[in-house]
Amino acid sequence: MKDPVPNVPDAKPPAGEAFVWFTSVGLVLGLTMVAALVGVIVLNGAKAFWPAAIERAELADGRVLLGPLVQERLKPGTPPAAGLLERQYQIGLREQNGQSFAWIDASAVRSSSLPPGALALERMENGAAFLLPAELRLAGGSRLAASDPAFLSRLESLIASVAERRERLAEVEKVRIGRINTELQRVKVGLRKAADLGTPDAELKAEAARLDADYQLLAAEARSLRDGFPADVLAGTDGAGRPLEFPVASLVRAWEPNRLGLGGKLALAASRAWEFVSAEPREANTEGGVLPALFGTFAMTVLMSALVTPFGVVAAIYLREYARQGAVLRMVRISVNNLAGVPSIVFGVFGLGFFVYVLGGNLDRLLFADELRYNNNTPVLGTGGLLWASLTLALMTLPVVIVATEEALSAVPRGMREASLACGASKWQTIREILLPASAPGILTGVILAMARGAGEVAPLMIVGVVKLAPTLPIDGEFPFLHMDRKFMHLGFHIYDLGFQSPDSDAARPMVFASTLLLLLLVLFLNLGAIAIRNRLRERYKTSAF
Amino acid sequence: MDTKETSGIRRHEVNPRTLAIDRWMARLINVGGVGVIAAVLGMLVFLVAQVVPLFRGAELEELPSAQLPAGVAALVVDEYGELPCAVMPDGELRFHRLDGSLAKSWRPDLPGRSVTAVRAYPRDGIVLMGLDDGSVAEVKVGHRSRFEAAGARVVEADPALASVLPIVPGAALESVHHVRGPAGRVVLVRHASPAGARLVAVKVAERRALGGKVRSTPSAPAAVGAGLAGVVGEVLMANGERILAVLADGQAVVFADADGSYPEVQRFRPFPDSPGARPTSLGLVLGDVTVVLGSDQGHEEAWSLYPQRQADGSEVRAFGRIHVNEALGGRADGFAPSPVNKCYVASSRGSLEIRHMTTGTVRWSGPPVESFLAGFLSKNHDQMGVLESSGRLRRWKVDDHHPDGGWRAFFAPIWYEGGTGPEHAWQSSSGNDEFEPKLSLIPLIYGTLKGTLYAMVFALPVALLAAVYVSQFLRPELKRVIKPTMEIMASLPSVVLGFLAGLWLAPLVDGHLVALLLAVLALPTTALVFGTAWSRLPLAARRRIPPGWEFAALVPLLAVSVGAAWLAAPSVEAALFSVRDPGTGQMVADFREWWRLATGMSYDARNSVVVGFVMGFAVIPVIFTIAEDALSNVPPALTSGSLALGASRWQTVWRVVVPTAMAGIFSAVMIGFGRAVGETMIVVMATGNTPVMELNPFSGMRTLSANIAVELPEAPVGHTHYRALFLGACCLFLMTFVLNTAAEVLRQRLRERYKVV
Repeated sequence: MKDPVPNVPDAKPPAGEAFVWFTSVGLVLGLTMVAALVGVIVLNGAKAFWPAAIERAELADGRVLLGPLVQERLKPGTPPAAGLLERQYQIGLREQNGQSFAWIDASAVRSSSLPPGALALERMENGAAFLLPAELRLAGGSRLAASDPAFLSRLESLIASVAERRERLAEVEKVRIGRINTELQRVKVGLRKAADLGTPDAELKAEAARLDADYQLLAAEARSLRDGFPADVLAGTDGAGRPLEFPVASLVRAWEPNRLGLGGKLALAASRAWEFVSAEPREANTEGGVLPALFGTFAMTVLMSALVTPFGVVAAIYLREYARQGAVLRMVRISVNNLAGVPSIVFGVFGLGFFVYVLGGNLDRLLFADELRYNNNTPVLGTGGLLWASLTLALMTLPVVIVATEEALSAVPRGMREASLACGASKWQTIREILLPASAPGILTGVILAMARGAGEVAPLMIVGVVKLAPTLPIDGEFPFLHMDRKFMHLGFHIYDLGFQSPDSDAARPMVFASTLLLLLLVLFLNLGAIAIRNRLRERYKTSAF
Repeated sequence: MDTKETSGIRRHEVNPRTLAIDRWMARLINVGGVGVIAAVLGMLVFLVAQVVPLFRGAELEELPSAQLPAGVAALVVDEYGELPCAVMPDGELRFHRLDGSLAKSWRPDLPGRSVTAVRAYPRDGIVLMGLDDGSVAEVKVGHRSRFEAAGARVVEADPALASVLPIVPGAALESVHHVRGPAGRVVLVRHASPAGARLVAVKVAERRALGGKVRSTPSAPAAVGAGLAGVVGEVLMANGERILAVLADGQAVVFADADGSYPEVQRFRPFPDSPGARPTSLGLVLGDVTVVLGSDQGHEEAWSLYPQRQADGSEVRAFGRIHVNEALGGRADGFAPSPVNKCYVASSRGSLEIRHMTTGTVRWSGPPVESFLAGFLSKNHDQMGVLESSGRLRRWKVDDHHPDGGWRAFFAPIWYEGGTGPEHAWQSSSGNDEFEPKLSLIPLIYGTLKGTLYAMVFALPVALLAAVYVSQFLRPELKRVIKPTMEIMASLPSVVLGFLAGLWLAPLVDGHLVALLLAVLALPTTALVFGTAWSRLPLAARRRIPPGWEFAALVPLLAVSVGAAWLAAPSVEAALFSVRDPGTGQMVADFREWWRLATGMSYDARNSVVVGFVMGFAVIPVIFTIAEDALSNVPPALTSGSLALGASRWQTVWRVVVPTAMAGIFSAVMIGFGRAVGETMIVVMATGNTPVMELNPFSGMRTLSANIAVELPEAPVGHTHYRALFLGACCLFLMTFVLNTAAEVLRQRLRERYKVV
């Protein structure tokens, strides 16, 4: 329909033009929704890292708040028409205030200012803190006033040295002592078994003693590291002028948002964003980073694709090239296609019932009978874990890959296939040399779409092995390196858990939005990849069409 | 292919290796392909297999019977059914092994008194004995099992006399009952008097002294229903709060505890539908609030205590008939409740049955026993026994893992104990021990459909209008960008949507509900009004907006109309939705309060409107993509023909394109429906997950999928609750599978139709 309005001056208006306008409302709404959704997530996600200005607000009742203004909204429970507003301030200092956020009636704020030297602190415990710094009391006894130009850089270098020591301590405590604990657990099971069967256990006992000695050594090292934290103290006052003191050893980061220029704010936001994707979570997941969740999502998705691709492709080749085409096959094809529309939670139920309890439970009985018997019946494979989660999602995404592969195979021009056969190639040779290479982009599109679906799926994972906090990553330096029986963290579940199960939901909010943004980016990236490949594929067929 | 000629292979002959590889690959792919497809379809088989046991009745296998002495008065069986204790009418406790040999005999030390009545409480291992001097003796049977080193189980008994309480001095007792409740113990006895049988109740306060000895202080005896003639049976119920007596004329009389006296509060006639029937068996099921009555004609009814509204408006707990069960095989002559669930053994002249009170189902039915004296169901619900009057103890191994299952339990309205009528309820767990799980799937299915309905109300118009516009009117170069954008929306993780719905949208909507409703009205109206006005303009003016760009021109207009709705909302709310604040007496403009008062329904911040709106995000792209494909694939010859004949573009779309693509549009709607039905995270996060059954748009719901996600991790493997959740999964599977198959079939029809065109 190029130009339905003919170029005649006195043409009667075409019938039903109003309805054309009406239908466009659907498109406008749809696009607005996408834009609003992405906008809200991007804005709030970015805000999580942005160093907000610290406000000093004097209230009508004499209290003084010091902290960033988070949001302003209609006071809930009041009629909207009354227009009563309230403001949320992040006041930090949870150990003193009981909570780190406060709702204040907008009318109760008498005056507010932005004190230039106000300092924001990120701490190991109890969340953020805001103060007007006075001085730095150094361990040697000397003092450095906040007015000194070197104050902030000195504080930052102290915090950096603390961070470095903390990292060493974590290395000792988590990695090395953790390794010994795993060993010790294994030896203990062996000892219990030996005691039960009456077999000699001298060797095991010796090993246990050796491990214990190693442990003592490491524990001593950890102690000395812990005792070696500097005794410097940061002193200042809160908004009302009451003194505050923070040991530098408890700080993670410090900045002066009210003095930072745009560049400084951007740099700080970038560094906080980097910490977010590269660090372990702290404080019940509400602080720190999401590395384990990101990594868990990644490991699960990769494992899932590794499982789903061969099976999906083989099934599709069978359906398209080998199976006898007929009514039965058509029904099978419809059923397989329809499985893509079966709710993901149903796959989760199947995963739990079959993979975890039936397969895992029986494998445990076969392979880990000793562990079961001498370790309080703790299941190894008979409980949710990375392997079962990946298998469940692989089953869920199988129809996607089968359909995509079938479509790609059927899109290969008939002439290519016939030419190959006419040259004397066998069926398998034709498939391997002609069909698969030609349909590879299509298959890849299917796999990427499957990955995108798998990466964003939460409901089935909730029942087959995702946990809110996994002590160890599913991959580490110990044999067999990839621990498929371990429980793992997942970005999607992280969002659910932080947003809805967190004890301090206000404090968790920025982290949830940031995690949401990350997950969204991941899924969008995978989808755009699939679309890009599909477009290239189309062009390729355009040129190669006979 | 190998071109080098190896020995033995001639020209034009294929290398045997190539052929072998080809054969092997063919086999591998055949096996692999069939295997994968079988595995995928096997999923349904596995799910169904998990659910099937729920619908099986009990299976019984008769074990060798044991011989106990004849003339036994009561029976107490240990947990494993290995050392039954026969209580003789004279108070002797005889413990018999299953081969019939006597393991132990014991007699309470009651010098100068003899036993005249006996009643056993197998669940607590207690035997009450009524004595000829009007006292009641309590005997602990003391079954104990221990495991020897070799793993063999040994059941022993160590009976002991716990207490002797004088109740009616001087009267020989005919029948004794007791019950221990939180408020103490209540003892009920029946004895003969010149005026006929008399019932006497005594409350006993029990205090545990320092040495561990229990000190009992009985209250003064209270005559129950003085002058009541012809009591043939009585039960003590609900922690001693109620006494139900059945009279010889078939009437049942209820007495209620009122500080020590027991006035009559209710009188009813069981089997009101068959006036001639007389109750011949009477018993309490677990929980002590429901009595099951069997009649001489084989009727069976369950009467239970539940709150009933009286004429004066107050609510009183009274008896009412909650179940009329399937008829027994003949005259009812025996009853034995299970100590762990609501099952009971019902014996009649025509049959011996295991029934379940709550669901009213017959779990098992077999030929009648010779003469029912006593029966039991074991504590593990794995054994049943019936003692005949000849002393033969017949025993059965019971295989009944889901006594509270069955079609009725999951899909039919059930009158639960304490409820005021038959209802569908889902309540799977509680802290209470005697709590009975309510596992009706109907509220969950209702919630699923409710969520889907609200999602579709919002998603359908948006998605279909957008599909029509994009496929028929939008400029093709824009379509290449917009279609993938909408497709990407389909892959947004639902946890992201759910999170936004719960934490961001729900509070926002809560405060600006009227604005939202106004905007929903304003958007289409604005578009229609403006479109009409625009088409009346002279052509020169109309040409300013080229066809295919209408949506861009509409963006500022719609933004203005939404803004206007936003600004107008407070005054509209004040004008239409004002209510009087009960606290201050002032008129307050608040839609939420108005809704509560005007409709009497609840208002939750996390409600169906929010869920429907956000679920729309998940459903719109699905419907849009498929419907757009269907509309775009209408053969251009049709549209060109229509336009050439002078139809306007809208007439062409409405009369030619849409009808041709109808099947495809319909299939898009069904696939969108399927997606909404299975959506999990949005519902988990954006509603309160309460299983309500009302269409109220401002209340929440609990859907099948959300229910599974929330409860399955906690459900013990293999239990009824676990399998009920699998049943929910099966329902979801079936719903979506049927919808999608229908959609697929429609789409294939459509394709054939195009072929014809």
